Amino acid sequence: MIWLALTITAFVLGLWAQTRWRSPLINPTLIATLIVALALLLSRTPYPEYTAQARPLSLLLSPAVVALAVPLYRQRALLTRQGPALIVGSLAGTLTAVGLDTWLPRMLHLSTEAQRALITAPATSGVAVVLAEYTGAPPTLAATLAVLSGLIGAVVLPPFLTFIGVRRPLARGLAMGSVAHGIGTARAREEGEQVGVASSIGMGLAALLISVLVALLSR
Amino acid sequence: MLGLGLLMGFAALGEGLARLLRVPVPGPVLGLLLLWLALGLGVVRLSWLEGAADHLLGVLGLLFVPATVGFTDYLSAGAAWGLWLLVMLTGLLAGAGVTGLIAARWLKSEQQA
Repeated sequence: MIWLALTITAFVLGLWAQTRWRSPLINPTLIATLIVALALLLSRTPYPEYTAQARPLSLLLSPAVVALAVPLYRQRALLTRQGPALIVGSLAGTLTAVGLDTWLPRMLHLSTEAQRALITAPATSGVAVVLAEYTGAPPTLAATLAVLSGLIGAVVLPPFLTFIGVRRPLARGLAMGSVAHGIGTARAREEGEQVGVASSIGMGLAALLISVLVALLSR
Repeated sequence: MLGLGLLMGFAALGEGLARLLRVPVPGPVLGLLLLWLALGLGVVRLSWLEGAADHLLGVLGLLFVPATVGFTDYLSAGAAWGLWLLVMLTGLLAGAGVTGLIAARWLKSEQQA
């Protein structure tokens, strides 16, 4: 119970810090992750012991992903109108990210495990785990890199998109969801419902595209 | 409570379907599609689960924390982390840049935007 309580407290602290300083670099998920990781390391608590206690949160993750259907349904008129731009934009970005995550590790001569695990980093961790069977990556490393990639995306992408001049809500959301999946979507929702909806679409399309790509290429 | 139950039901349905069809797509994502379909067909009313969905999505960032903490298991990789992070950062910025710029150019203009 203590770890569950600590996780929630650390997240609330992150929310407070976010409203206090209003910086896009202050992300509640990032702050909570760092606090909990530090506490685990200092108390020498093994990660499986932590996940066992924090299980109620992980159990709520599946229904939360399903719940994304609600804002998607509420914005259905907008989505039908903007369908082609959303689909083309999302697929192009995901393809770019997967391409770089596959090619760069080879250029840098990273370990085989890391090379394989990085391929699925732009997918949600659930997809990364399932695809580990095809890429030959250690499933836990693939999942870890996928969630961390999402977390980094949630922190750096909003200011980056503003910097390169992407201001329209749908374009911003789509970009965050296409490469930073669920964690990017959690961040995108903070900018508004339309941003969050576009991000959910990006996440869903990315999950489908990456699954198809990996399944085809590993044949 | 009805809302949360429905959401969990669709998550389980997605999970089962993913296993049955042996598709490498996560169960919850299939569940999302099924729920969207059910809402569109009028099988499920939006008002039944709107409250639960909005509450759950309000704390979405919290639900990922147990998974993100998992990096502590790989601290022994040491200096390799620098390169891993660099690769992911490059992929993220380039991918999001491509999506953002294409979408920004292709989107039709909206009156309220």
